[in-house]
Amino acid sequence: MTETPVLAALANGVLSLTLNRPERLNAMNNLLIAAMNRELERARADDTVRAVLLTGTGRGFCAGADLAGGGANFALACDIVLAARSARFDQAFVRISLMPDLGGTWFLPHLVGDARARALAMLGTSLTAEQAERMGMVWQVVDDASLMAEATKLARRLAAGPTLSYAAIKQAIDKAATNTLDQQLDLERDSQRALGQSADCREGVAAFLAKRPAQFTGR
Amino acid sequence: MTYDKITLSKAQGLATLTLNAPDKLNAVSRKMIAEIKQAWEEIGADGSVRAVLLTGNGRGFCAGADLSDPDRKNDADSGSALDKFFNPVIRTMRALPKPIVAAVNGVAAGVGMSFAMAADIAIAAKSASFLQAFSRIGLLPDGGSTWFLPRLVGEQRARALAMLAPQISAEQAKQWGLIWDVVEDAALMPTATELAHRLANGPTQSLARIKEAMNRAAQNDLSQQLDIERDFQRELGRTEDFREGVTAFLAKRKAEFKGK
Repeated sequence: MTETPVLAALANGVLSLTLNRPERLNAMNNLLIAAMNRELERARADDTVRAVLLTGTGRGFCAGADLAGGGANFALACDIVLAARSARFDQAFVRISLMPDLGGTWFLPHLVGDARARALAMLGTSLTAEQAERMGMVWQVVDDASLMAEATKLARRLAAGPTLSYAAIKQAIDKAATNTLDQQLDLERDSQRALGQSADCREGVAAFLAKRPAQFTGR
Repeated sequence: MTYDKITLSKAQGLATLTLNAPDKLNAVSRKMIAEIKQAWEEIGADGSVRAVLLTGNGRGFCAGADLSDPDRKNDADSGSALDKFFNPVIRTMRALPKPIVAAVNGVAAGVGMSFAMAADIAIAAKSASFLQAFSRIGLLPDGGSTWFLPRLVGEQRARALAMLAPQISAEQAKQWGLIWDVVEDAALMPTATELAHRLANGPTQSLARIKEAMNRAAQNDLSQQLDIERDFQRELGRTEDFREGVTAFLAKRKAEFKGK
């Protein structure tokens, strides 16, 4: 039987990518990583994709590499993370004498601060979803039964939103990590100037002044 | 200099800058931002000012850019207003060698939230709220917000606040480290004023170097920062306030700092 390690479905501007090795808690192998790279490249190149929803089938989101444990870092690379109340976040690498990868050593201090980052990486402590939310590692915890409904609603909202603005926010926050405030103010000026010319910004301001909901097109 | 959309008062080393368009929740018109810029320049040039208190008149702290401002239509380029007014204000606030206290008395939205984050110490009334409204109108957070947010609340919350534009309570803002403290509405101005006066009577040179060191820590590695601390500490060790601080400590009396 041929395994499809990542299920992809595009609807309402949302590309849903579902890690699909449920018998291994969606642990990464070469096939899964290759499929993820293919699908992310498609998401980048295809203008009809306006948001991506990443999740896993079965009981696990992603248990990491078949032998290591980088599943949590797949989630931390996302812009907004919703977690089921029963989900757990685990930097398991140190247990097999490795270190966090997939950006884990960068994401952790940027998400939860140095003290917690070092402890999580060195101790391999497993966090509950609620602990992760309190630390700012994930945006929101929701009940298990409503996770997919909430996440789908959020992804559709973003897909119907001013996507040029989201892209600019994403890029600006990426750059903020290494920019000085001075450089960042110039970046904001340039991005704001470009966004100010967009159809979505004109619509947003017009809708605000008319006190009606805006109809964004992503242009 | 006289002002119309703000007030600026100075007493006992404390400058108080109050946004003053209460009927618009202190939304920032072109006229107001020009006055804000002028006021920060005046504060920077006045050696008698040793601390600044920033607040808003009425129910709001600052509702962000005034989208109904008639002057806005004459200037379709949102980049040029940032270049001429908003960015110089943020740069001046951060570079000012004096502590800035923000008393957030009501809603702080858009660039109003940036003003609060650019202050050194922000205290909010319990009923105040914070909102990165920009993406609601197809823009991105400005006034330094894309830089302040990830540093204050981490990457995940920064992205969600910018993209989803939820309105968050003062309590939530405190819990996340976005602001220093929350107090009852009635206690806001007394608390913030007392704190600002305390800073105005404090060791100004020390406060200025704390501010500068924290500014630089954002980019420095630890080794560079240790050198900065050494250099600044050496300078502070030669100030009158340091001598007074040590003398007062040993004599178990309260120090009388002069800012020198």
